[in-house]
Amino acid sequence: MRRSRRRGDDAQAVLETALVIPILLFLICNFVAVMVQVTVQEQLNAATALAAQSRFQAPENAVDPAGSRCCGVHGATLVTAGLPTGCRYAAESFYGTMTTYTGLLHWQTATLCTSGGDSGNAANPPAKPVAYPGSPANADVSCDIGSIKPGGAVVPGYVDRTLNPPSGLDVVTCSASASLDFANTPLAWGVFWTPTLHAQAEALPPPFRQ
Amino acid sequence: MGGELEGVVRLRRMPRAPSGQAIVEFAVVLPLFLFCLIGALDAGLWAVQTSAETSAVEQAAMVASSAGSSPTSETAPDARAVMASISGRLRSALFGTAIKSWCATDANGGCAPDSTQHCPSTPAEVQAADGPRVVVVCVSEADPPACVTPPPGQVAPYPLGCGDSPMITVRVVGFVASLVPPGFGPGAGGFELPTNISATTHTLRFAP
Repeated sequence: MRRSRRRGDDAQAVLETALVIPILLFLICNFVAVMVQVTVQEQLNAATALAAQSRFQAPENAVDPAGSRCCGVHGATLVTAGLPTGCRYAAESFYGTMTTYTGLLHWQTATLCTSGGDSGNAANPPAKPVAYPGSPANADVSCDIGSIKPGGAVVPGYVDRTLNPPSGLDVVTCSASASLDFANTPLAWGVFWTPTLHAQAEALPPPFRQ
Repeated sequence: MGGELEGVVRLRRMPRAPSGQAIVEFAVVLPLFLFCLIGALDAGLWAVQTSAETSAVEQAAMVASSAGSSPTSETAPDARAVMASISGRLRSALFGTAIKSWCATDANGGCAPDSTQHCPSTPAEVQAADGPRVVVVCVSEADPPACVTPPPGQVAPYPLGCGDSPMITVRVVGFVASLVPPGFGPGAGGFELPTNISATTHTLRFAP
């Protein structure tokens, strides 16, 4: 009688341990996954902000000559011939900064360079940006930027109507989206969600520029 | 008297197995519990440190890219000046870790600007040079090729990219202090984890 009770206690202890250990590991895995997500989001924010800022390091009317290309960091080469040079600068800054955790990210590709977006207000309806002719559509970052063509024609960038209302300010916006996939990591054992990360940054033109 | 005897008998009859079982259970569970607790703490610590490094290199890249944007500036930004702008942010997050700017050692053992701008690319390189739990802030500049007269059949500007502004890369690389004990982590000295965070941007450079 006593022996069977002890055997029952042992079985209960084993069962408790068998239940608790997977739950603990599950919690740990998800905690680490959240930490990784926070870290990658931080890096995505930094890369997007630097990309937007980089546009102003190029002269406003500079255009990439034939044969120009860039990046190729994530397996894709972006042909930038005929696009504003600031567009390539933005891509180079983005890919140069987004160097870690890339194996965990599935990028949502977009048009590298667009123009004419408008946040809109009561008098002006919001407008979606349109792609520059020839802009590659397989970029991991998309920037809405204005430029001045050699003939002097102004290509509008993104107009943010919340700044300097009601006419708004012509600014640069860059955005990037990617889903974070833990499938090829040990965390896949306990992490069953695939969060989508999104970053958008806006840069104002400096008071003095080339 | 009879009561004392009863007590002795009761003590002898008390089963000893449960206390032994409790000790074994405790011995099994304690390492697991400590593993989970320390693992969670370390993951949180690592996330805080990495986030601080990421925002620091972003700020440093902006400082470095604007450092050369004056009509009189022609040289690459000084790593020490860049580090000074972010050292406060890094020090508050990387506790237990020494932070240095990457530069060549001069004849007096001081820190001279690294003329070759050879930045370490791996944490192991920093560990070999500076020891455990040290991160360095490294600033490097990639200058575009000089423009030359294009050969027949080619158009100016030649070669491609010769008119570009230089690219600045700020890197925080090394080993940061952590709770990973010796023999379990990638750090040879133990209680450290590798880090390698960088930010790249173009710099505005006025023509001299």
